[in-house]
Amino acid sequence: MVVRQYNEELKYLEKINSYCWRIKKGFQPNMNVEGVFYVNSTLEKLMLEELKNACRPGMVGGFLPGVKQIANVAALPGIVGRSVGLPDIHSGYGFAIGNMAAFDMNDPNSIVSPGGVGFDINCGVRLLRTNLFEKDVYPVKEQLAQSLFDHIPVGVGSKGIIPMNAKDLEEALEMGMDWSLREGYIWAEDKEHCEEYGRMLNADSSKVSTRAKKRGLPQLGTLGAGNHYAEIQVVDEIYDKWAACKMGIEEKGQVCVMIHSGSRGFGHQVATDALVQMEKAMKRDDIQTNDRQLACARINSVEGQDYLKSMAAAANFAWVNRSSMTFLSRQAFAKQFQMAPDDLDMHVIYDVSHNIAKVEEHIVDGKQKTLLVHRKGSTRAFPPHHPLIPVDYQLTGQPVLIGGTMGTCSYVLTGTEQGMLETFGSTCHGAGRALSRAKSRRNIQYTEVLRRLEEMDISIRVASPKLVMEEAPESYKNVTDVVNTCHAAGISKKAIKLRPIAVIKG
Amino acid sequence: MSKRLLSALEYPNVDNINLSEEQTFRTIVVWLETNKLKSASQQVLNGLKNQTSNDWNTYFDQYKNSLGCPLLKSHLEELHWLLGQAIQLDTAKNKSEYLKHAVDNIKTSSVPNVITENPLDKLDFRGNEFSERINQLANTLKVCRHPDPLITLRAVRKVICTRLAPECVENPRKVILEGTPFPFEDTDLGFDLHDPLLNQAAKVFRILYLHDLRDLQTKANELVVAVQNITANPKTDTKLGQVGR
Repeated sequence: MVVRQYNEELKYLEKINSYCWRIKKGFQPNMNVEGVFYVNSTLEKLMLEELKNACRPGMVGGFLPGVKQIANVAALPGIVGRSVGLPDIHSGYGFAIGNMAAFDMNDPNSIVSPGGVGFDINCGVRLLRTNLFEKDVYPVKEQLAQSLFDHIPVGVGSKGIIPMNAKDLEEALEMGMDWSLREGYIWAEDKEHCEEYGRMLNADSSKVSTRAKKRGLPQLGTLGAGNHYAEIQVVDEIYDKWAACKMGIEEKGQVCVMIHSGSRGFGHQVATDALVQMEKAMKRDDIQTNDRQLACARINSVEGQDYLKSMAAAANFAWVNRSSMTFLSRQAFAKQFQMAPDDLDMHVIYDVSHNIAKVEEHIVDGKQKTLLVHRKGSTRAFPPHHPLIPVDYQLTGQPVLIGGTMGTCSYVLTGTEQGMLETFGSTCHGAGRALSRAKSRRNIQYTEVLRRLEEMDISIRVASPKLVMEEAPESYKNVTDVVNTCHAAGISKKAIKLRPIAVIKG
Repeated sequence: MSKRLLSALEYPNVDNINLSEEQTFRTIVVWLETNKLKSASQQVLNGLKNQTSNDWNTYFDQYKNSLGCPLLKSHLEELHWLLGQAIQLDTAKNKSEYLKHAVDNIKTSSVPNVITENPLDKLDFRGNEFSERINQLANTLKVCRHPDPLITLRAVRKVICTRLAPECVENPRKVILEGTPFPFEDTDLGFDLHDPLLNQAAKVFRILYLHDLRDLQTKANELVVAVQNITANPKTDTKLGQVGR
């Protein structure tokens, strides 16, 4: 990293409008394109403060500040357009979480980087609707929370209740949600309302290490820990009546279920294995990056292709995982209300992935190009009429599911044409951390966090209460700030706001 | 693809030719004209047959124009277009032969054909009476009229088949999907034709396209469900479950 005074650093940053900043070339060495980040006045302070702190003498170790990470990504070979930071950006391994970057598939030097996808491959959010209302659920919400907790195993080292053997896993890795469909865990309509139709076709389980498969097998159908959760939510606000209507959301108070989870230990192992391979490839092909954590390989190299195939398998794992939990949630509701899930209208509204790399077609400088789009902590948000979104959402744009933090609200946005032009059809993914996990543990008492949730009348079931403070709302940016910034900047549009009434956590 | 068309036309030794060679291209053009298309004037044909001449392209241009070939970028595309023409002529010539194998005919061939004569065939579709009656029918069914009564008839038929079918009359709620209205006039079309009327028309096309797409997706879902009826066997075993620390 170039060491400069904070004031010197600021010369490379330019505020384009109230919601958007430009990072000029030279901020970090060898930048091929400029960087850009979206913030409002509150988030802007957080962003610049982080940079300021990093500029203080003697600040070493830990991740680089988010702005620096955006700029380092802009220096990667083959990047096109701009390196984009979304409002919920915070430092991560190599790429910041909330950074998206696209690489030209036809440029032989273009790279793929596991750091640009993240360790929890295809971590994502799924939203189910019901035809129940708050008044139907409120009296039984404790029982319902318990029932969900009993059905969906949570926490570090949890094991799922859907019996799977090694052969099932191999098939699931290749087939994604088609496996869940075949086995009858989900409905045909679920596939329709899922990004990529719940299956990456280039998945190749033979490229996945045995270790990853061993870790993954018992974990299918489990929620995991960290910020993953299953929540019973109610519609708190409808901003876009027609979009909501297309999603089957008619009125305030309607009950939904949100599942936020990923590929568990499986994805983590795939990413770890790939990083080892990438380091070798970098040496061999002489690929230079500004940060060692930005390990990468040329897309066309063996390592690059192997990673894309195993990443696709991990993505399929995550979809099967969320599908299994969909099945279990439907069971829990069906038992509680003594009604079939069909009669409860428990349809999947949509399923998004916010840690993934995908090949997409975009217009760059007036020309159509095939790009490898990395989205880490960033959600795809395609505009109306895009051929890759479900027919039901052709007029409204793709639903974008933004999970809040424990006890705060969540949002449903829709994709816009402007987002397609400015951010390769990408938007934010959630609140985004403001404090590191370690810092949150020092600052907040877990009993205090649980007490506050109780005050808000939110039922909670949690596997490891002592880790709850890591996920306390104070540890995160305000999701409303994040969403409002995306809305105001025009890169996606607010449709629905949801608030939790019961939370299941790891 | 062009090679497949060539072999369908029984062009000799298709496997061993290189379509990007100018000489081959000229030979094929002459072959197509003499054996299949047979439309050029004697003068143009002679010009084409003189394959080594410098004027060949001039004659070829004349030939293309006479066939109504659109402006294409390369010889390969032009060749493909010519082959398409030849195939069309060939299939039209042998239409009766192919129709024997059409699915409809194979099905019905085993069933004795009772109706030897269709009384509708005797109708005068261009007569005033026909047109008036069709319009009356359209009015009754509240179908918009088209200047061509046969097109109106098709619309009428569609309404009768979908809305007046016995199952629909008996149980209209099951067949007629009650959608929620959507203000599509206010939605973004995704492009602008710089003419409000054209934009309006394009929007209608969008909606019709979405309707077809929805229909296709529903059929795909039905297919998945049909397969699920055979394969699905979801299981859970709570003994396997383990909550983490």
